[in-house]
Amino acid sequence: MIRFDDVVVRYPRASVDALSGVSLEARRGALTAVVGPNGSGKSTLVRALIRRTALTRGGIFVDDKPVATMDGAELARTVAVVTQREELAFPVSVLEYVQLGRFPHLGAWHSAGERDRRAVEESIDAAGVRELRERRIDAISGGEWQRVRLARALAQGGSALVLDEPTTFLDVGHEMAVFELLHRLARAGQAVLLVSHQLNLVARFADHMVLFHHGSVSAAGTPDDVMRADVLERVYEWPLVVIRDPAVGAPALVPLRSR
Amino acid sequence: MTLARWLMLLASLAVAAFVAIAVGTITVPLSAVFDAFRGVTDSTPAMVVTTLRLPRVALAILIGAGLGMSGAALQGTMRNPLAEPYLLGVSGGAAVGAVIATTLGFGATIVPLAAFVGALTAVGAAFIVARAAGSLGDPRVLLMAGVVVGAFANAAIMVMLANAESNTVRNALWWMMGSVADATRTQITVLFVYVAAGGCALVLLGRQIDILALGEDAAAGLGVDVDRAMRNVFVVASLIAAATVAAAGLVGFVGLVVPHIVRAAGVRHHRSLVAGSAIVGGTLVVLADLLGRILRPPAELPLGAVTALVGVPFFLIKLRRLR
Amino acid sequence: MATRITTYSALRASFSMAGVPVFRLRSTVLIFASALSAALSGCRAADAPRVATAAADPVDDFGNRIAITKPPARIVSLNPTTTEILFAIGAGGRLVGRSQYDTFPDSAKTVPSLGPALRPSVEAIVAAKPDLVILYASEDNRPAFDRLRQAGIPTVGFKLDSIDHFRRDTRLLGRITGDSARAVAVVDSVSATLERVRRATANLPRPTVFIPTWEKPIIAIGGGSFLSELVEIAGGTNIYASIPTPSATVTIEDIVARNPDFVLAGRDRERPIRALANWRAIPAVRDNHILAFDFDLISRPSVQLGAAAVAIATLLHPGSVR
Repeated sequence: MIRFDDVVVRYPRASVDALSGVSLEARRGALTAVVGPNGSGKSTLVRALIRRTALTRGGIFVDDKPVATMDGAELARTVAVVTQREELAFPVSVLEYVQLGRFPHLGAWHSAGERDRRAVEESIDAAGVRELRERRIDAISGGEWQRVRLARALAQGGSALVLDEPTTFLDVGHEMAVFELLHRLARAGQAVLLVSHQLNLVARFADHMVLFHHGSVSAAGTPDDVMRADVLERVYEWPLVVIRDPAVGAPALVPLRSR
Repeated sequence: MTLARWLMLLASLAVAAFVAIAVGTITVPLSAVFDAFRGVTDSTPAMVVTTLRLPRVALAILIGAGLGMSGAALQGTMRNPLAEPYLLGVSGGAAVGAVIATTLGFGATIVPLAAFVGALTAVGAAFIVARAAGSLGDPRVLLMAGVVVGAFANAAIMVMLANAESNTVRNALWWMMGSVADATRTQITVLFVYVAAGGCALVLLGRQIDILALGEDAAAGLGVDVDRAMRNVFVVASLIAAATVAAAGLVGFVGLVVPHIVRAAGVRHHRSLVAGSAIVGGTLVVLADLLGRILRPPAELPLGAVTALVGVPFFLIKLRRLR
Repeated sequence: MATRITTYSALRASFSMAGVPVFRLRSTVLIFASALSAALSGCRAADAPRVATAAADPVDDFGNRIAITKPPARIVSLNPTTTEILFAIGAGGRLVGRSQYDTFPDSAKTVPSLGPALRPSVEAIVAAKPDLVILYASEDNRPAFDRLRQAGIPTVGFKLDSIDHFRRDTRLLGRITGDSARAVAVVDSVSATLERVRRATANLPRPTVFIPTWEKPIIAIGGGSFLSELVEIAGGTNIYASIPTPSATVTIEDIVARNPDFVLAGRDRERPIRALANWRAIPAVRDNHILAFDFDLISRPSVQLGAAAVAIATLLHPGSVR
């Protein structure tokens, strides 16, 4: 559904490519995860998708339509993106914030209708932040904030969800809740593209994993394909072993002490 | 905001304007005010109303509305509660233009024009500096570019005034302190066009500013063309600010304080915030001008001084409320 | 009538309240008086007191004693009034330097110009090798005053803002340059003309007058200025005579409230005043009661004071004098 086709991105005045020839696809009904060390280009991928960074070469397609030709609002109605960081200088209530997610549908003029209201309420429920509805954005915890952001993305009502490190600041319980939600959404038909550091959680929940290294794809496939000690050690430059987690059966990475 | 609140704001503006028309060194009785409105101007008080008070009050309302709207839009777009209309070099550039015109001996028709041109030149320079530094979309870079341009403008003014005649220095200083005392019909009409057109544009951009307030990447994710939207706001807000400076000199603090007042009343969406800032800004400047006229008779306190005096305690209160 | 010596400290202290000297782009300087008592309007030439005592040295308006042992031969005068007075008392030939604004009488133009009268170039003054320098006694000139004295050049500061100043300083200049008799004659002549004008207009109805000197902001002549005194002598009343300083910033509404019968302005300001839209609120402007005077004649409290009084009286009361 979202397809990156041999995408090359080089920032102005940079000496190396941030992304060099990346091809990957996030299909409907699947949870695709992009993992890799810091600076490997994961966030650049997301920024290229929302057109904050120009492509040097290659193309990005949503439902086979080139993103470059799409109208901003049209893109936002189809793909909801939750970026790594967001700060509001002027705090609003959680409800008002989630309502902002309907902007691609409303534009500058139209007032919110019944459909918009319903979409907002459903997203609030889906993200599990109903009890925070009237609270002010600056009065909730970091973890609650992440979930509220997710609610806003859901309110955009698209068929794809792209998230850049959505579980920072979340404790174990909330982190699991987010992954489970994303998994559920994928099963319900959304194309979920997730950028995350949490290799082990990704290995448990993702259908498809893509490992980045220095701006290009180092390995791609199912978690079993990608979670291999030799590959991971080379990419992360740290001694580690990969075991099969006895409790859940998914591959898990265990970092060792440095030699 | 509810309709009732809007009506209350408008009513406050009307009352303030009325009081400002009636009160001053000469207290104009109500009958004279009505006479003046009916067009009967043979009595001196009625003449005072039409020739002196009405133009002042009209100009004050426009100045306040323009600066209020500009400040509200800029604070949201730059995600900075301390942003204000003169941020991008408008005040420095306008002052340079005015001082050059004054030094060359030009009078009341050329100086405002020179100030306007100077303001826009400075904003343009700030944009060029920001682009050279890399990013146009990062408000911090633009802010710093504005500071650089402003510093340069101040240096230029000091150089020009250092060797100028006393006349020139006095004229320049007086202009920089801001005043609506010399309101002419032309000035009012021109300013009205800028404030009305610019205000409509900013209200239209209001929803986009709401989204921009989330941050550039998040806004892009919601479908806003961030660079274009920001540029539009900067251009319109700076044009309005430049027009107010051309008409009345430097009137500080209004663009900074008014949006906070409107926000404190519970308004958060920028369409309402901009509109509300227009009304509250107009009211504030009308009252500031009135205060300047009655505080120290027979002299007049400059408008910029009164607004600064109002602004300082306001910010002290805000600072205390910060956690 | 106010004595001179004891009021000098009061004069200096009140200078900070006095109007800032206003310079025009045209090369003439208007010099305003510092505070003097309202009794000034009752001054009569016959009451002119003698200079303190013959034994005591006179004191200038900076408060310093003037200790001149012999008449100076090379004088620098940076002040239109003192320059004109020096020529009138016969010392004009000794001038080796003047300020750029000193253009009266015509022969003054042949004296080399040394630049501005406020914050003058000390180097230019020293280069003229004077043995007496006369400066306008303003705080702006104090640094120059100190530097010249340090260089060993006798320097005096004169205020020259009121008619009384004119009388006193002309006599002082006469004494310093060694020809007191001529100075006294000049003073007496001027005083006689002033007295004549006063008598001619004494019993006529006194119109009220507003005298603006600047428009942005509006600066009006106050009671402490010789121009205000001239108006009184010429049979009028300055609406701001109650303000003790030579000038004051006022608002247009205040002027409207005081409703002057006439506006008295220099000829070159007449058109700008008519062009100001908001000044039409003043009935005198609306009804075109603007009296224009010859700026050069009336801008200095100097030997032309008598003629100036006649000119103003002719404007206020046509046909009353001569």
